[in-house]
Amino acid sequence: MTAVTPDRIPAKTKHRRSIKDGGVKPIGRPIWLLSPGVLWLLLFGLAPLAFMLMMSFWTSTIFGTKPDFSFDNYARVLVTELYRDQLFKTLRIAFMTTAMTVVISYPVAYLLSRLHGMQKALFVLMMFLPFWTSYVIRAFVWLPILGRNGAINNALQALGIIDTPIDWLLFNEGAVFLGLVYVYTLFMTLPIYLSLEKIDPALVEAATDLGARPASVFRRVILPLSWPGVLSGCIMVFLLSISAFVTPQLLGGPSGIMYGNVIASQFLANNNWAFGSALSITLVAIVVLLLLVSSRWIGLQHVFTGGRNS
Amino acid sequence: MTNPVPHIATARSVASAPAQAAGDSAVEIRNVSKWFGDVTALDNVSFEIRRGEFFSLLGPSGCGKTTLLRMIGGFETPNEGQILIDGVDTLGAPPYARSTNMIFQHLALFPHMNVLDNVAFGLKMKRLDDEVIKQKVHQALELVRLDGYGERKIDQLSGGQKQRVAMARALINDPSVLLLDEPLGALDLQLRLQMQDELRRLHKSLGNTFIFVTHDQGEAMAMSDRIAVMDQGHILQIGTPEDIYEAPRTRFVADFVGHTNVFDGHVSRIDDNGECLVACSGLTFRCIAPAGLTLEQPVSVALRFEDVTLGGDPGSADGTGCSATVTEKMYLGGMFRLETRTDEGVALTSDVTNSDAARLFAEGDTVNLTWQPANVSVLLE
Repeated sequence: MTAVTPDRIPAKTKHRRSIKDGGVKPIGRPIWLLSPGVLWLLLFGLAPLAFMLMMSFWTSTIFGTKPDFSFDNYARVLVTELYRDQLFKTLRIAFMTTAMTVVISYPVAYLLSRLHGMQKALFVLMMFLPFWTSYVIRAFVWLPILGRNGAINNALQALGIIDTPIDWLLFNEGAVFLGLVYVYTLFMTLPIYLSLEKIDPALVEAATDLGARPASVFRRVILPLSWPGVLSGCIMVFLLSISAFVTPQLLGGPSGIMYGNVIASQFLANNNWAFGSALSITLVAIVVLLLLVSSRWIGLQHVFTGGRNS
Repeated sequence: MTNPVPHIATARSVASAPAQAAGDSAVEIRNVSKWFGDVTALDNVSFEIRRGEFFSLLGPSGCGKTTLLRMIGGFETPNEGQILIDGVDTLGAPPYARSTNMIFQHLALFPHMNVLDNVAFGLKMKRLDDEVIKQKVHQALELVRLDGYGERKIDQLSGGQKQRVAMARALINDPSVLLLDEPLGALDLQLRLQMQDELRRLHKSLGNTFIFVTHDQGEAMAMSDRIAVMDQGHILQIGTPEDIYEAPRTRFVADFVGHTNVFDGHVSRIDDNGECLVACSGLTFRCIAPAGLTLEQPVSVALRFEDVTLGGDPGSADGTGCSATVTEKMYLGGMFRLETRTDEGVALTSDVTNSDAARLFAEGDTVNLTWQPANVSVLLE
């Protein structure tokens, strides 16, 4: 033990130093470990977007799409009344859907956060059960409910409330709104529920102890602490509904189509890829703008982590 | 929303003008029982806490001390019995209508508010004038030596600073009873001692009644005017720290408070001078006989580690000493702890001062151990 050969001393000191640094041999800053994620983002995220941005300046004719640098597509997007109206309508539907899902989800999430054990499990199961089926089916299911020969019309006729079927239930903006709210509510309920669940019950007790009655406790403690969850849900639902395609396609009819359908028709029906790209980029730009504006009030870093950390 | 709930007014008026009818008890627990399903948390507990006293509920986890505290604060309802605060029955009064404030175990500071808003919360709930609130918050922060920290966020504070914010937030309401649910539990020793001093200082200068829940007997000793030792839903003994330490009444109290040798035995002789002999297997103890002791009565005796002296005449026949072999010697800084075993096989532990005499002995040596009859407690239960 006492006899240490000189050539072993450097090895020992080296060992010591590495322990001091945290016990692990330092390997520098291994930035290359990020490469799979970065590669994925570049390949499937940024590259298509860049390609679309490029193509939005091209020109499409019946003979095909050819490289160009023209602002004609954007001029058409912004000037044509049809496309402007579609954009405003889509924004309106997205905002309304977001607002409605908050109104529905907050009480549901609050109730859920109050339940325990078996009750909670059952409740969660009931909430999730419809979401085990495809998104398309969840939108499609409204057809046999709202249609001319659908469940509602049949029921109203059987009860003698109406003589002829109501046909304004389906294929309009209202039906799209209903469908979107139904399909996306869970994306609002979950983040709100998670942020409510994170609230330490002792905080509620502390507020009560300091003289706050239930309404004040809710307004001053529960609501502010679950707010990041609400915002996170809002952003998700807004993003999902502004780019909705299947729901308006199935339930919208001619008057209920949204921006996503307009874009799709340029690619699928009109074969005008350049103009379709310009429409898409416009939508992306508006979404980014809205996110930036909203980041003035909320920390975007909180939004996707489901709330504050403390 | 705009009018205060009537019973707030009741509680406050009682708090601000101590009713003569209430006497000098701040809290009165009358035959309180509480159970959760099959588990009994409190079993028919009755006692009083005097106005202005620093009272500790001491016991191991699960003894019911926190449940009792939470019932005083209004977070739990007793299944049976009454709790009177300032002489008024609290039955059915929610926490926001009570003149109590609690410092929670993990403090429960509002993470979305800064220090000012945390401290001001109670006053805002009382809808006081903004200027008054500002002034009182300033005073409260000064009181806990946090002036200048008002704009800080909670997660920018150290553990000790958070403690102080919690104290200010509770004390700013001038509660007639301050409830403390082991708030110092998470702190390291140094900070803990500091905060103990701080709490003592606040208690002295403010004069509110403090009820302090802890499982740390040292903490309870250092801070309390009186201590209630609890176990399994019962109060075993209430008294000053000196009472509890020097005259434990039950085996549990003797064991829980301080380091104690406890032996079972029976009374073998009662002398005219008020002393008696208790014969335990292999060892006899001379002690001061409590009133009503009878010959042959089975009792236990307790002898604290530090009350055993090294050296002297063992004179084992008269019950004030023995000789024993050292089985283990531990160095505790200021003292040595000697674990010894008598020839009869009785294990006896002693804490002896770090003297030269103690240094001389090693494990395996035979030593003489002596004690004073006054230091041997007779435990009837």
